[in-house]
Amino acid sequence: MESRKSAKKAPQKDKPARNGKLTLCGTTFSVLPLYLFTLAFVLAPLIYMFVLSFMQRGGSWGVEMSLSFDNYLRITEPVYLGTFTESIKLALLCTLFVALLGYPFGYFMARLSPLWRQRVMLLLIVPFWTSSLMRLYGWIIFFRANGTLDHALMGIGLTQGPLRLLYSYPAVVTGMVYALLPFMAYSVYASAEKLDRSLVEASRNLGASALRAFFSVSFPLTMPGLFSGIVLTFIPSMGLFFIADILGGSKVVLVGNLIQEQLMRAHDWPFAAALSVCLMALTSIFLFLYSRLTRALGSGGELEGLV
Amino acid sequence: MNRQHNSIRVSVENFSRQALGAFFRAEPEKTGLSAPIQRILLCKIRKDFRFYPLRGKSQALCAFFLAAALVLFLFSGCSKREKTAAGNPQGSGAETASAGGTLTIFTWAEMFPPEVLKSFEKDTGYKINMVNFDENETMLTKLETSGGSGYDLIIADDYIIETVIEKGLAQKLKPDKIPNFGNINPVYQSQFYDPSNEYTIPYGAGVQTIVYNPGIVNINIQGFTELWDPRLKNNLAVVANPRVVTGMALKTLGYSYNTEDVGAIREAGSILLSLAPNIRLIRDDKLDDEILSGEVAAALMYTSDATNAKIENPGLKVVFPREGVGFGIMAGFIPSRAANEEAAHAFFTYILDPQRGAQCFEFLGYYSTYAASDNLISEKYREFLTLPEGIGEMEMMDNISPEAEEAHSIVWTAFKAAAGHK
Amino acid sequence: MNSTQSAALFKRFFIAIILLLCYAPIFLVVLYSFNESRLSSVWAGFSLAWYKDLFEDSAMFEALMNSLVLAVLSSLSAALIGTLGAAGVVRVRPQGDASLASRASGVMGYLAVLPIMIPEIIMGMVLLAFFALLGLPLGMFTLVLAHTCFCVPYPFLLVRARLAGLDKSYGEAARNLGAGEWRAFYDITIPLILPAIISSTLISFAMSFDDVIVSVFVTGPHTNTLPIKIYSQIKTGISPKINALCTLLFAATALLGLISAYIARPRTHRARLKQKKQPTITRRVQ
Repeated sequence: MESRKSAKKAPQKDKPARNGKLTLCGTTFSVLPLYLFTLAFVLAPLIYMFVLSFMQRGGSWGVEMSLSFDNYLRITEPVYLGTFTESIKLALLCTLFVALLGYPFGYFMARLSPLWRQRVMLLLIVPFWTSSLMRLYGWIIFFRANGTLDHALMGIGLTQGPLRLLYSYPAVVTGMVYALLPFMAYSVYASAEKLDRSLVEASRNLGASALRAFFSVSFPLTMPGLFSGIVLTFIPSMGLFFIADILGGSKVVLVGNLIQEQLMRAHDWPFAAALSVCLMALTSIFLFLYSRLTRALGSGGELEGLV
Repeated sequence: MNRQHNSIRVSVENFSRQALGAFFRAEPEKTGLSAPIQRILLCKIRKDFRFYPLRGKSQALCAFFLAAALVLFLFSGCSKREKTAAGNPQGSGAETASAGGTLTIFTWAEMFPPEVLKSFEKDTGYKINMVNFDENETMLTKLETSGGSGYDLIIADDYIIETVIEKGLAQKLKPDKIPNFGNINPVYQSQFYDPSNEYTIPYGAGVQTIVYNPGIVNINIQGFTELWDPRLKNNLAVVANPRVVTGMALKTLGYSYNTEDVGAIREAGSILLSLAPNIRLIRDDKLDDEILSGEVAAALMYTSDATNAKIENPGLKVVFPREGVGFGIMAGFIPSRAANEEAAHAFFTYILDPQRGAQCFEFLGYYSTYAASDNLISEKYREFLTLPEGIGEMEMMDNISPEAEEAHSIVWTAFKAAAGHK
Repeated sequence: MNSTQSAALFKRFFIAIILLLCYAPIFLVVLYSFNESRLSSVWAGFSLAWYKDLFEDSAMFEALMNSLVLAVLSSLSAALIGTLGAAGVVRVRPQGDASLASRASGVMGYLAVLPIMIPEIIMGMVLLAFFALLGLPLGMFTLVLAHTCFCVPYPFLLVRARLAGLDKSYGEAARNLGAGEWRAFYDITIPLILPAIISSTLISFAMSFDDVIVSVFVTGPHTNTLPIKIYSQIKTGISPKINALCTLLFAATALLGLISAYIARPRTHRARLKQKKQPTITRRVQ
């Protein structure tokens, strides 16, 4: 309020000083809530998790205070290492599919008329405002032997008998892609919507083909959206144990499933914490590599400031 | 003025260079485009202004009202909570029964028929506050954090109750306040979690039975051994409890469910790997749906699902495995610092009534744990909700040593992964 | 002209197909809410019994109300914190120097994204311990805090992605034209990042409305949320009552969507007329 008043009265005189002071003060003020929240609710769990991962379980419940690397050594069991590779494989596959479907969706959505943009945006998220469990049961009905999909496929004569797709790997991938699609679509949309069409038109006028214009103008400019979409897709897909359990019949074991099971069934909190630390380290490495890669390939300073 | 103008130009040029950087990287001199771009930029800013008519004062006012509403909401949420919890302050020994006659029950959802809850409220004047947890472990974590307060009556699984009692988070029942204590079926009493029946009242019990559809597979299943039959390839569902499934293999090998011998658990693990090709699904609930739809031909499932499946399709066969049957009990207890143990006792007395007990078990779909209720269960459900005679050896699953737990978890993970990779 | 038209058609077709697939499972849930049988594998005939059951369950509606209040509060607070944070971090960061502030904001930016990396269950346990330590009474307030915490990354990431490369020139232009710091933020930055704010708020709402793992830990003995009620039916099998509830929720959101579309229509129409007369006429001709 005050700054606006003074801006009206004396737009010129003491500007450099006021600007500098306010920038600092404004920046501090605007990031303060985020910093406080992050420190209290993110750093604290992280530290707790890290410390816990060096402890030992105490009997059938609870934790024993004794420092050791045993939990990390246990992770090197081939069975547990297998879940890590399985998780990475599935996460990459899902991210790929989500990007292939979500990028065009978000991009096309940004090209709609403002009214339709609004509508599609809402239409996309409405299914996600019902219970995730119910949506998964919907997919179960869809995939079930002699269920909707089988009837449809047999109806048009594509298949003869039931496909038995339920509780299989493709079902898990479908469920994951379905659950994560909005993140990608929205991120790309947020980026593509700010894309100035006149830039593309300018490039077209200068003789670039539609494809060339897309790859040399639109695509680099929507990279930040694609990138944040990939972050929002890749990270959760490493831990979405729930979908793997329900649509995969618990047969696809991800690190997330393992952590859940160690906490809830085996009551081995320290081991679960060690698994979580490894999972997060792994995810962070992936993110780091990816950001380096995009920074090296990408458009100068565009991605500066992203993870 | 000139300086200002200049800096706009610089920033706009900056922007356009950045934006068109990729396109014009080949010909960097072509930044002459900045003039049209500048026009476009200004147009866009002006357009955006028109799209968002709220500006200046009205915008600030709007923001203020939004913020005020937010704060108000938060506080109303808080104060409401504090008001209802007034008789039950956290941390201080809340022995006072001043919770306004509220009975806070902490259990899974859909555990009691709504009619029984309503009539309890009407008959006794207590108000029921039903709070739910998703897993036993969540319940224990919460109870531990609150030091045994906050809830008046908790119903959970046997193994977790053992830990609850060990940690001193449950209080002894007052038998004189439960006159119909004798209605309980002694089969379900004096178990490992409460050997002298001081803390708990059982509420429903279940066994793991094999249910199969003889119309799909032509195997005469009598016990666990037949589940390894190759004709069941990709056609078998089991519950998602490692102790039960590995226990099944242990039983086939002649060990106990509760063996702490790591070698035996490993051995069970290796024969489980040969079961993996048959596994289609590993899940705890709603296995009845799977066998009825023909998704699987056979399943190892809990009592409530088996009951539903058999009622829906009488052609199914329910088998109590000859190697031995694993069973579990759900039981109610009163937390150590319950605010209203009076009401909790009243509730136990209420559901121990034979007629109401029968009503509850029909709703719940697990075995009736009250002998007095057995004969009052309606014809349709009776054979499913009372334990049949001569089903052989029954064994409960205790808590086992950490080493044995670790072996179980390795075996289980390997089994699931093998089932997925067949 | 023809190729542009077919391209536009393809775009609409693509969007429609994806949306249809998104709705497929919901439609099945809606369909089976009218199923007489308890099981989703058997169609036993049309029945409204589950709706009757649902309307008799007042606890379910209380849980629904709690969930709605919770989702609204936490998605709004997350949007506020995340947006301000993203604006601040982007402003500190692009200098790219090795100053302390810049470094700190980089680290904080990374930390702020972590909540989606920490397994929910660990977060739930730690938050419960943390709230107990602070002596906060468990209930709606702690729920809002916890949900805000795991919702913040969405607005933060989306807004930051939109701000990347955008804010410097627009903001500086406005400030150089004489607008104050906040004026520039309100008048230029907010409208420009609004799409990102809205879409991330919608996502946050969905995340909060559906969370069970964190909620069950940080809620108190007097606040059930809808997901807790749904997921805790594991012992007796999920009742089709939930299908009925989902159907009603779905119907309500669809209705709200229709109403908002109806309200939005005349305004944009007028705006379009005022702004560009030409395009409207050509469209009518087409």
